[in-house]
Amino acid sequence: MMILLAILLAADRPVIDLSGGRIQAYPLALARPLGAQETAAVQSVLQADFDRSGIFKLLDPASFLAPASEGLTQIDYSKWMAIGAQGLVKMSCEAAAEVKCDLRLYDVPRAQELLHGSYSAPRAGVRQIAHRFGDDVVKFFTQEPGVFQTRMAYVRESESGKQIVVADSDGFGPQALTGASINLLPSWAPDGKTIAFTSFRDGAGAHLYTVDVTSKQVRPLVTTGDFATGASYAPDGLRFLFSSSLEDNTDVYLSQNDGSGRRRLTDSRGIDISGAWSPDAKRIAFISDRAGTPQIYTMAADGSDVRRLTFQGNYNQEPAWSPKGDLIAFSGRDEHRIFDLYTVNVESGKVTRLTQNQGTNEKPSWSPNGRYVVFSSTRGGKRQLWMTAFDGSNQRQITSEHVGASDPAWGPLPAK
Amino acid sequence: MSEAAPKSVLALRERTPLPPALVLAIFFHLVIFAAAFYLPRLLDRPPPMRKPIIAKLVALGKPRDKSLLPRKESPPPAAAAAPVAAPGGKAAPSTAHVPTRRELMERALAHAAGRAASEEKPDEERAGQKTGSPQGTAESSEAGDVYFTAVHDAILENYVVPSVISERERLYLSATVLAYIGGDGRILRHDLQKKSGNPFFDQALETAIRRAKLPPPPPELARSLRDNGVVLNFKP
Repeated sequence: MMILLAILLAADRPVIDLSGGRIQAYPLALARPLGAQETAAVQSVLQADFDRSGIFKLLDPASFLAPASEGLTQIDYSKWMAIGAQGLVKMSCEAAAEVKCDLRLYDVPRAQELLHGSYSAPRAGVRQIAHRFGDDVVKFFTQEPGVFQTRMAYVRESESGKQIVVADSDGFGPQALTGASINLLPSWAPDGKTIAFTSFRDGAGAHLYTVDVTSKQVRPLVTTGDFATGASYAPDGLRFLFSSSLEDNTDVYLSQNDGSGRRRLTDSRGIDISGAWSPDAKRIAFISDRAGTPQIYTMAADGSDVRRLTFQGNYNQEPAWSPKGDLIAFSGRDEHRIFDLYTVNVESGKVTRLTQNQGTNEKPSWSPNGRYVVFSSTRGGKRQLWMTAFDGSNQRQITSEHVGASDPAWGPLPAK
Repeated sequence: MSEAAPKSVLALRERTPLPPALVLAIFFHLVIFAAAFYLPRLLDRPPPMRKPIIAKLVALGKPRDKSLLPRKESPPPAAAAAPVAAPGGKAAPSTAHVPTRRELMERALAHAAGRAASEEKPDEERAGQKTGSPQGTAESSEAGDVYFTAVHDAILENYVVPSVISERERLYLSATVLAYIGGDGRILRHDLQKKSGNPFFDQALETAIRRAKLPPPPPELARSLRDNGVVLNFKP
């Protein structure tokens, strides 16, 4: 009876549901570097990585209360707590033939070590130490892979043409893979070893080629028909989509990864282009003007079950399916005739705007963890690459090319 | 001639069941003690909880054509009050006060009230409260709703979810806290009854509870909130 009464009493407690807490970046302090001078270089790269991620709020070193002599493990947590730090990163490096670094992440309120890693790299590769530790930290917190070690391909615009370039995800160390004819629309193979791209190099219209990222060797992929453009590899890397007018009208085609076994997937009176795979490879997003204006459609991987996804705007293009599968990013022309970035929810069809009133923004490409989108923007005058979080927050410039940069393609996660 | 086997002393003692009267007496004593302890609480229970009314203030403007691509949602208006210079010429700390939903509602109602006052004269005979709104329709408010809404807002004001929790995980996280509130509004103690499984989320809601400044509960709720507490269900 008493138990019954207690249950009755408990059931009658008032209940308040709380949701919609403010999302706030995690306050993180990067302590002063210890050891060899290479530590400062590692810290500088790590700081830029964390800042770009939008996940962390880096605390101003001028506010630090802990003495510069504070060691790697003897930590006065109260001094870090006093400046509002939730996390603390400590690092120390030794430099000989190669650089060895000891990096640690601490939970300040709980006064405990969360992560401890030892990393080594040749002197020229100290940036990679920072990227690796940064990815480990992101993975620790979010359970999702970090993308600091990934690379990006894009088109470098110059006075003499457009060449395919590969750089680190922060824009550092760009390397040209092709000459400066007109080369466009790079697309990574899932293994990260080759990039397919569209080129006018043969003088007979636009066709598809591949380039080996290491050897820079270029091979033809699809060189028949008036044109073939916009390659997009399936997640298994065994097939790719492209757009072509092989059979009079422009349609989306599917091919084996060596260019053989081509098959037309779309068949409408309109123009069908820009095929993009869903992460499970079961569906394909593409652009079609079959209803009068370019809109996003999806279809099954065999071309059946075509569904229109967007109904807002009158010029939507360049779909990119998120690796998480829930969103498709695209660029759309608004009523002011300016292209901006949007996402559309695949299930609900809800369109969300990512960019606004900041130049022309085009060609979205997702990071492999689905958290960020890289795109080209003219907001600074010249067209450069920028990145944003999937919700449009934390937009940062990535490249600073002399003439311009466009057509970004975010590369896959590095092989383990 | 047969000889009975010797029986043990224990075996000789026959079990005698408790007399039914004694069992009944024990039972009734227990019932009386339980009733004496719990009945006052049962009779003194707060009125059933009503959910706080969640309202969104819609930005001023004309409806957007649904065939157009959407615009970005406008950020909330900045706090109207300018930073006040502290004595000695130093500027006051620039920590921007984020208005609570209640404050926004009150501002909007005050704004609306100002406009309405110039348009029509309120009925002087209408029953209400001195602190009520010209747009109000009820004679009095219910203390339970008002107080729990204030608790909700006070905790929400300090409820900060760290961005290190991925948006995917945010979809599934939830935690339950039982909080006991003193007569002065202080949270006397709280128990994390159901952890979320994510230490950073649990830490965030503990911080929100610790920092929340709750108003004193109305007298009719004070005892219940002190002894029985209030259940707080957190989701990101």
